Amino acid sequence: MAEAHVTRAPTASPCPAEAAVKITMILTFVVLLLMMAFGLLMRLNQAAVVQLDPTMFYRLMTAHGIGMVGIAGMSGAAIMWYFVSRHASLTGWVFWALLSSFLVGVVAILASIFIGGFAGAWTFLFPLPAMSGGVWDTGAAALYLVGVIVIGVGFLIYLVEIGRALIQRYGSLSNALGWPLLFTGHQDDAPPPTVVATAVIIVFNGIGTVVGAAALTISLINLYLPSFTLDALLAKNMIYFFGHVFINASIYMAVVAVYEIIPEYTGRPWKASRPFIAAWNAVMLLVMAVYPHHLFQDGVMPAWAMVMGQIVSYANGVPLLVVTTFSLLNYLYRSGIRWDLASALLVTGVFGWSVGSVPAIIDGMISVNNVMHNTQWVPGHFHLYLLLGEVAITLGFAAWLARGEAGELLSGWKSRGLIIYAIGGFGFATVFLVSGAMSVPRRWAAHLPEWQFQDQLGSIFAVATILGVGIIVIPMIKRLAMTMRA
Amino acid sequence: MQSTILLTTFLLMAAVASIFLVSLSAASAGDGAEKAPKLEGVRLKFFIAILLLGVVVSVSSLRPWPKAVAAGSDVIHVKVTGSQWSWEIAPKEIPVGKPITFSVATTDVTHGFSVYDDGGHLLIQSQVMPGYINQVSYIFEKPGKYRVFCMEYCGVAHHDMTDELLVVAQ
Ligand code: HEM
Ligand SMILES: [Cu+2]
Repeated sequence: MAEAHVTRAPTASPCPAEAAVKITMILTFVVLLLMMAFGLLMRLNQAAVVQLDPTMFYRLMTAHGIGMVGIAGMSGAAIMWYFVSRHASLTGWVFWALLSSFLVGVVAILASIFIGGFAGAWTFLFPLPAMSGGVWDTGAAALYLVGVIVIGVGFLIYLVEIGRALIQRYGSLSNALGWPLLFTGHQDDAPPPTVVATAVIIVFNGIGTVVGAAALTISLINLYLPSFTLDALLAKNMIYFFGHVFINASIYMAVVAVYEIIPEYTGRPWKASRPFIAAWNAVMLLVMAVYPHHLFQDGVMPAWAMVMGQIVSYANGVPLLVVTTFSLLNYLYRSGIRWDLASALLVTGVFGWSVGSVPAIIDGMISVNNVMHNTQWVPGHFHLYLLLGEVAITLGFAAWLARGEAGELLSGWKSRGLIIYAIGGFGFATVFLVSGAMSVPRRWAAHLPEWQFQDQLGSIFAVATILGVGIIVIPMIKRLAMTMRA
Repeated sequence: MQSTILLTTFLLMAAVASIFLVSLSAASAGDGAEKAPKLEGVRLKFFIAILLLGVVVSVSSLRPWPKAVAAGSDVIHVKVTGSQWSWEIAPKEIPVGKPITFSVATTDVTHGFSVYDDGGHLLIQSQVMPGYINQVSYIFEKPGKYRVFCMEYCGVAHHDMTDELLVVAQ
């Protein structure tokens, strides 16, 4: 076995709650595989290969949606926690608290869906939880909302703790955001990329989580006091603001792993230059201003909000990709990198994220959205940057965490697993894009016969994805468990 | 429309993929002691170029305003009401070649009103929001049967919430 070119960055202090981070990674593998199996079942049902009752399809859809979004958030949070601890001192119990709240929330959510019959989709669009057409009762909807609120509270504590640690270390949030360097061109003790990214993420994700918690709480009260209502359009704005911000934060949190790990392979430190800081600070505002692109089909939304949604959709994607993708390729160029599972997965993840932003940005145009909104174009683009982006980065981080003293070069089953996963994931998402272009609606349990060929093709790619991910993660579970005992 | 979008998307995705392939093919070269090439200037130009291009494309795609609602004396109004899980559409027969404005409302949760042609292409859609009336306009060029599908998840019979429109020659 040859040795990969790996230099370990000096660690200021060991990561507090490192065991919880590793447990989170193992939990991520389990949840991913289970939710992928749910996804495959849904796809097979659309393909008319298996016959599920529609109520079961929509329960699986609800579980898959919230389960995947939740685990993306949780794994992103673990990654960011791990690396922030290199730069600021964190309090270990906070991450344990997040993990516990996540587990409690998951139990409540699973019970609400599979015992209570809740199938209101992960987005709990007001007033659907309260008006199921007689399919689930108030208690089930309430249990679901409470489960999500519990997880949200865990995240808020987590975000506040990271904010506290950064302020303690850098004196103020604006220092951690790199404002002195950004505005004056000079900063003593300038923050590294991880700190800048983290500071940005906690600001916008903190706001997003609070708005989400408010929407959840109001929906919960409305279940029991129907006279206490919320304007449906306002509720929708709040929910999509929260949903958009949260899922983006999950990806951005994971991207921190790229900034921290890739330099160990290239020997070229990732610098928080002025453009880097400018890009991240711009994203802090843009990511919050962009969500009206979810509301292009609401004619009553003000036109200025729609125009802003369209322009910002474009402007939001570009700076981050430029300071991440462009810089990554720049740092890798003739770096003599030796590919192992971790580095290959991280680069695959940045590829999935970058390539997935193409159909996302295109759908951010109103004239396109008019014919693509809520077709399978939408799961097409987000499976690209989640399944092939966020997930690949997370698996890359886990592989790095689980690696031996000398990383093993990519070969044998590891490389086969990666190839099967990458082809499966790419094919799976691309088939959704094609279906979207053929106007197949998303979130339909039963498909017309003329749509089922793609559904079958998508199912085959889904099987490949699951197989590839299985090959990658199963040996890692053992390795991670071993390093925890050591 | 949809095939142009798909083609453009695939071309741009292929462009991204080629950039990756070309740069990564040179990644394992070098002995690791080299510094990364200085590309800050290139990066800035690249950034400004794609930003400008995007904003120009984006702004020009807004004319004519893609959410314009037809109004005037020759416009035919169709009233659409969604309820879990069916549509009420009046009138259900509409003339070809005339501007039609659909006003959509719901009696319960959010639905999504959409019209598909017989080739299965989505032509128009609008969210159907509790407490609001949304409008969407279209001129049908061909007589025939058109299908109405629900485009917003509205509960467990969402996919069964379908109906039809008849477009007739004058
Ligand atoms: C083998 C892997 C996967 C399969 C087979 C799969 C399958 C599916 C299917 C069939 C749908 C519903 C499509 C429709 O609306 O018609 C869906 C929706 C979704 N998937 Fe996946 N998926 C996979 C991986 C992932 C991953 C890794 C994530 C995120 C990290 C994810 C997040 C979502 C979300 C958020 C939805 C939307 C649910 C909703 O519409 O309420 N999926 N997936
Ligand atoms: Cu519906």
